[in-house]
Amino acid sequence: MSETAELISVESVTRRFPMDHSYVNALDQASLRVCAGEFLAISGPSGSGKSTLLNLIGCIDKPTAGCILVDGVDTSSLKPNRMTALRREKIGFVFQTFNLIPVFTAAENVEFPLLVQGVSVGERRKRVAGALESVGLSARANHRPDLLSGGERQRVAVARAIVHCPALVLADEPTANLDTKNATQLIDLMHDLNRRLGLTFIFSTHDARLLEHTDRIVTLCDGQVVSDAITEGGSHGQVLASRLS
Amino acid sequence: MGKFLLLAFRNVFRNRRRTVMTLLMVGGGVAGLLLAGGYFAFMTHGLRESTINNGLGHLQIFTADYFRRDEVRVLDTGIENWRQVAANVGSVKHVRGVAPRIDFYGMVSNGSKAAGFMGSAVDPNAEKSLGFVTNVVSGRDLDPRPTGEVEALIGVGLAKSMSVKVGDGLTILAMTSDGALNGVDVQIVGIVNSGVAQLDARYIRITLPAAQRLLSSDRVTNLVIGLDATEHTDQAYAEILPRLHGMPQELTLKKWIDLATYYKQVNTMFNGIFLFMGVIVFFMVLLSSVNTLLMAMMERTREIGTMLAMGTPRAWIVALFMVEATLLGVMGAVFGLVAGNLLGALLNSSGLHLPPPPGYTHDMPFKVLHVPAMMIGSSVLVVVSLALASILPAVRASRLQISEALAHV
Repeated sequence: MSETAELISVESVTRRFPMDHSYVNALDQASLRVCAGEFLAISGPSGSGKSTLLNLIGCIDKPTAGCILVDGVDTSSLKPNRMTALRREKIGFVFQTFNLIPVFTAAENVEFPLLVQGVSVGERRKRVAGALESVGLSARANHRPDLLSGGERQRVAVARAIVHCPALVLADEPTANLDTKNATQLIDLMHDLNRRLGLTFIFSTHDARLLEHTDRIVTLCDGQVVSDAITEGGSHGQVLASRLS
Repeated sequence: MGKFLLLAFRNVFRNRRRTVMTLLMVGGGVAGLLLAGGYFAFMTHGLRESTINNGLGHLQIFTADYFRRDEVRVLDTGIENWRQVAANVGSVKHVRGVAPRIDFYGMVSNGSKAAGFMGSAVDPNAEKSLGFVTNVVSGRDLDPRPTGEVEALIGVGLAKSMSVKVGDGLTILAMTSDGALNGVDVQIVGIVNSGVAQLDARYIRITLPAAQRLLSSDRVTNLVIGLDATEHTDQAYAEILPRLHGMPQELTLKKWIDLATYYKQVNTMFNGIFLFMGVIVFFMVLLSSVNTLLMAMMERTREIGTMLAMGTPRAWIVALFMVEATLLGVMGAVFGLVAGNLLGALLNSSGLHLPPPPGYTHDMPFKVLHVPAMMIGSSVLVVVSLALASILPAVRASRLQISEALAHV
């Protein structure tokens, strides 16, 4: 896939959740296109639909209306096992609360997606070492999460998300539990991985200080995309501008 | 697979207090079953051997008519050529000896008082050769050598009701094989206690020749065969049975288990109690484990959501919970086996005795047998219980909505 090929296409997506005796639209006719290799932030206040959008792109939820294409595959019509396979092969996840398996060491946590994919032991070992090295945690490989700092845990989570070379890494508020220094370092790390490895990153945040580290900022409000801006240095400005027009 | 098992193993020890409590419960169930089952096994094994050694023997030969019809006259269903049969059977492997017996009934009197009796006529030498134990509480056993006096052993209850003691004389009356009434004076040489009060109240034992004279018959009721070990019963049965064919009379061979009615009743009762206990332990382990595993599942909701988000097949989540529960079951079973056997050994060395059961006059030693089959059965029971208990939490975990699981607090 070329760097500018379209990876994600969100077409007029609505996600409605039941609430008491009525419904609430977490996303309302939202549209978005993301090219391979982008480093994109989704911002907006709490309740604006950031996590819902990431869940839909990440194939862990299905839209009420509209369609989402991931690498050309319409996920709204996929059967559950195909959705699972798509997540396993093409998507890496980073969560706000790290979500590491506490009884596994850092290396074992990073190894888990490869285990699920059925990668051989030797290959797993090699890739885990590479992923941990890329996040600067080779020395902490045999530590369990409770012996790691918050920043280190999130870096392990990033290593876990990239170890199987996914087409897309989704990070839902990855810096929410980190102080400013660690948060900035994490965003810079993800950005570095984006540049070095060509991985597509989409992360949500409501921390305005981190947005200056991104190439593109999509802002949501009340479930709708209210702005889609290319920041200075954004690598795909012209392409995106043409797609969004 | 190795990492997957490692994850399951580590998850078991995630909440150590809860794991210890579960292991105590599962292990306690296994230990309880082993102790109860071991005690029942001791009781039934003891009852089996005492039933055999108190005179039942391992095998008995009767005429076929003995089971087909009631006797019209004394010993008319008895074995005629019993010496030939005994000699033929006595050479079979594992046979320790053959003892002829006559069962007879009648009245006993001391001149002022009379009572009904159940008589047994034996060859004292043959009985001794088979190791049959006669519990003589006063006096001595029957003398195998013919003497002028007819010697008799009587039950302790009968001696009490007739107000007689060793050295006293009694007259016993019985119908002969011709239908006539015959009597013989006997001298009491010993008082016996079989341990069964109802039997001791009516029991008289005399020698075989004396009984044959009393009953005017050369026949015997049956031939009792003693083996070197109870475990050889089936083998000896298979070897003896063909030798009984071609005899002038149609003969039947019975195993001890076919004749030990009381043993079978007790065994059935113990099996029933043990089964009931097993059912209780099964449900106890099942219900409490379901609760424990559901709690573990709730605590790990977000983690399960993360694993599902990463593309872990739902079947893996089911398998993970079932493997964890099975591991718990295996560890609980091992703990229970160790605890049960140690407690059993401790009880065995303590010399505890229990009061006599109804109908018995001796107190019972409290012993626990270590039965391998019971250890395997109890272990399998709890492991299966745990595996079954994990199905509900495992299925629930695998069906979690990923987005909801990830948002779980």
